[in-house]
Amino acid sequence: MSEPPRSMEATGPGPVKEVVRERRAQPSGWWGMVLLIATEATLFACLIATYFYLRFRTSEWPLGGIEKPSVTLPLLFTGMLVLTAVPIFLSVKAAKRGAVRWAWWLLALAAVVQATYLGLQINQMVDDLHSFTPQANAYGSIYYTLITVHHAHVAVGLAIDAWLLWKLARGITNYRLIGLRAAAYYWYFVCAAAVAVTLTQLYPSL
Amino acid sequence: MAVTAKPATPVRLKRLEAIWKETPGFLGWLTTTDHKRIGILYFFTSLFFFGAGGVEALLMRTQLIGPNEATLSPQAFNEMMSTHGTTMIFFFVVPMSLGAFGNYLLPLMIGARDMAFPRLNALSYWIFLCAGAFLYVGVFSGNAPSAGWFNYVPLASKAYSPGPGIDFYALSLLFITVSTTTGAVNVIVTIFKLRAPGMSLNRMPLFCFAFLAVSFALIFALPALSTALILLELERLLGFHFFIPASGGAPILWQNLFWIFGHPEVYIIILPAFGIATSIIPTFVRRKMVAFPMVALAEILVAFLGFGVWAHHMFAVGLASATAIYFAAASLVIVIPSAIQLFSWITTIVTGTPRFKTPLLWIIGFIVLFIMGGLSGVTFAAIPFDQQTTDTYYVVAHFHYVIFGAAVFPLLGGMYYWFPKVTGRMYYERWGKASFWLTFVGTNITFFPMHILGLDGMPRRDYTYGPEMGWTGLNLIETLGAYLLAMGLLSVFVNLAVSLFKGEPAGNDPWEGDTLEWSTTSPPPAYNYAVIPKVSSPYAMWDKEDREEDERNLELGRKTLEQGHETPASTAVDAEWDETLEMPSHSAWPPLLALAMSGIFAMVILQQWFAAAVFVVLTALAIAGFHLKEPEEA
Repeated sequence: MSEPPRSMEATGPGPVKEVVRERRAQPSGWWGMVLLIATEATLFACLIATYFYLRFRTSEWPLGGIEKPSVTLPLLFTGMLVLTAVPIFLSVKAAKRGAVRWAWWLLALAAVVQATYLGLQINQMVDDLHSFTPQANAYGSIYYTLITVHHAHVAVGLAIDAWLLWKLARGITNYRLIGLRAAAYYWYFVCAAAVAVTLTQLYPSL
Repeated sequence: MAVTAKPATPVRLKRLEAIWKETPGFLGWLTTTDHKRIGILYFFTSLFFFGAGGVEALLMRTQLIGPNEATLSPQAFNEMMSTHGTTMIFFFVVPMSLGAFGNYLLPLMIGARDMAFPRLNALSYWIFLCAGAFLYVGVFSGNAPSAGWFNYVPLASKAYSPGPGIDFYALSLLFITVSTTTGAVNVIVTIFKLRAPGMSLNRMPLFCFAFLAVSFALIFALPALSTALILLELERLLGFHFFIPASGGAPILWQNLFWIFGHPEVYIIILPAFGIATSIIPTFVRRKMVAFPMVALAEILVAFLGFGVWAHHMFAVGLASATAIYFAAASLVIVIPSAIQLFSWITTIVTGTPRFKTPLLWIIGFIVLFIMGGLSGVTFAAIPFDQQTTDTYYVVAHFHYVIFGAAVFPLLGGMYYWFPKVTGRMYYERWGKASFWLTFVGTNITFFPMHILGLDGMPRRDYTYGPEMGWTGLNLIETLGAYLLAMGLLSVFVNLAVSLFKGEPAGNDPWEGDTLEWSTTSPPPAYNYAVIPKVSSPYAMWDKEDREEDERNLELGRKTLEQGHETPASTAVDAEWDETLEMPSHSAWPPLLALAMSGIFAMVILQQWFAAAVFVVLTALAIAGFHLKEPEEA
């Protein structure tokens, strides 16, 4: 039999497109990211389960007279983050077509919105810290732990964005396309986690 | 590859050798990405931790040799007990099975030239080493943990364990979860992507199914442990509240999170051993495994069901009746897939023509001990019985039969079985058999009387007992058994060490083995296979026509992949050749990254937050360095 393509040698838009067309199985990078998401999703599930485990052991929630969280801003911010899944999705589509310039700009657009989201969220968290601290009681502890873990995931995603923007500025390769696809999956997961975390965070007000 | 050197063959082999050659000497070991060398590093490091855990066990048994002994102080006993459990489970059994056996053998068994992510593989090892060193820095600096291997709060909280011992425990485990998770990801991707073309999932050896099941279990079990450890450290270091009832916390939260991880961990520990058993049995009874598909499914089912039984560790804490009954029923259900495997091993042995060589003896010993440990395990599903025996030596007896008997015996059998492959030399057979009997008898003398002591009410973890309790005789027997067991284990490793230098040459296939690794040289070359092997069944080495075709392919230069550091990637289920991958070679980034991450953990324990942030930046830089070079630039 003839040997299948050496996909890692695909270093231009044409060859990359060809690899995408001929591929019959997901690349290793895709598998790696899916498994990372599986394990990270379990981490979030454990944290959210912890939140409700603590909540259902008491009649008062939030504990210690802490005010219920306001709903509007967190929902708006989360909607903003979730919308970035669209340019990310389109960026991958463009990269697969070999349209690397489009892929770069769409990813950059998503990154700017995601960075703004993180900034606004951190600002919101600092405001919250003026009202109650994580050391106040179990509610404060799980509230801040949950959102900080989520913010850390957004920050990691931004680092990946920056890395990919730098790489894609130098052109498209099969390796970079796999990276972009993996990053896209990561962001879809972060968006889903954002919804779960926000709904948990807002639970006392819902 | 068993090759007859024909004109073109030696040239090809030389070319492959040159392509896959790594840096020689110490630097080579530091920067290696070869799965076999990483497996060997895992082997010796986890063996070191096995020795440390063994010394701790002997110290405990010496303390308990008679009533009111004073070999160890109560605090030292607690530290030995905690460090022994933590070391054996996290730093010996799992790294030895997944890290050493998995790393060395998986790519060979599936006909690949390396793991799917070679540098990540090296990183897993270096993180494991650093995490273990981290725990033992705590031990040797007088800061050993002392709240048991499952570290229950409130004993482990700042109020009752104010020193940094618990922090060393929690941070070292948090650190090693990174290593184990990356290791599990690597195993799964390697199995789904790098199987030799033709090795569809139903043609994959049972050993690989066991490792696949374990790796999936790890992916979903470890986050529960990580969560528990993060919450504990936030509480201990930063004053958060998760486990203190007065501030709205719940101590049982720790137990739930820990055992959601902890019970799957039991299967994570023994499933690789099942995989080893399914490799050794067919070779030495000269027949294929009975009920192959059932065993493959049972391996996966055990890993899956293992997630639904965690609260049977908590029957004594006051669960609701409905909850307790559910977990009791689930604990009974899990017996079914375990029994499927057990009956398959026994039937295969009974219906085959056994050669009672040392590796098979270890597996038969394992079956006996697993039956005993399994039967005592089933008794815990009877809730009233469990409540009576919780925290007694009956539990200690049960889990040592399972973990030492069912997990470590196959590991020792596996060491004998694959020793000729890894070293190219044979071990001493009589010596091997003697070491088995010594260890088997020692195991039973040490652990069987614990059942009786437990039923008689002797609590676990107590550093001593009074003469009036009537436990002196059995404790004396157990301690003597422990020394005998230690002698047995020592004789295993002395046999292997001497054989390494003086053993007879082994040849490629001294056992007429069934799986692919026996088709390559002993030890295997850096590239594993000169020709990507043809596979038509799970017993690839017994398919003689395929092996002959490999030889013809080598001569003709077909499927030799000699343009670079290459290996084939296949489709996930049918293993059709999809692409040819250029694999990364040696790299200094994995150890550097592990070192930078160690810095973070060290600074956290010292509560030097700025320095910890500096190490976070260094870690980010090391990750960037890790990805700087792309495959086509290699």
